[in-house]
Amino acid sequence: MSLYEKIIAIYPQLVEADFRPTGAILLQNDSDGKGDYIAKWEHPTLAKPTQEQLDGVK
Amino acid sequence: MSTLALAAGASGTGSVTIQAPATNNTDVINLPDTNGGTIMVSSAMPAFSAWQSSSQSITAGTFTKVQFQTKLFDTNNNFDSTTNYRFTPTVAGYYQLNASLYVSTAIVMQPAIYKNGTAAAYGAYVTQTNGVGALMYFNGSTDYVEVYVYLASNGALQNASSAYNYFNGSLVRAA
Repeated sequence: MSLYEKIIAIYPQLVEADFRPTGAILLQNDSDGKGDYIAKWEHPTLAKPTQEQLDGVK
Repeated sequence: MSTLALAAGASGTGSVTIQAPATNNTDVINLPDTNGGTIMVSSAMPAFSAWQSSSQSITAGTFTKVQFQTKLFDTNNNFDSTTNYRFTPTVAGYYQLNASLYVSTAIVMQPAIYKNGTAAAYGAYVTQTNGVGALMYFNGSTDYVEVYVYLASNGALQNASSAYNYFNGSLVRAA
């Protein structure tokens, strides 16, 4: 499961548009083998998910 | 037959030196005239073109750096096609950059040009294929540029030929 899918699972109210450049969240992958990561989280009401929350999504 | 004249300034003590290169090459500079023309100095003027020759999967909702693994040309050896997939020009100046991306299925996508790790120019948010261009200044040492892409759904870039996913650029004006 990708980071994007995990975040959507934690916060079902988020929509794809929240991850576009005009949205509050920026996920990024630098193609360096380190995988996806949260480059920006500026959502006005939802807290940035913790690693524990992300790891808990199966 | 035209002639070449050298004229000193009416005042001042400054000088102009036309210096031959420190090599064994014989070089010719064609000067522009009133009918137009321009001086083109080919040595050390970076220009590159690279394309994606191996397929790359892109995860939905994630700006992902595009891997351009094959170079068509790279006149100053400034494009890294093996590790970081970035252009780091070693000549300071203004560069015109262009990228075009093609997704193998009809997925909404958005390309972007990143300078020094930050988005500097976005293409439109459209289905399957789009391009993005920018005119940018580079300091000739640490500045670099890369291409990222965003897909609304999981997908992959089409890599059938150099006509599908490419990134190119050239120095258009020195600093």
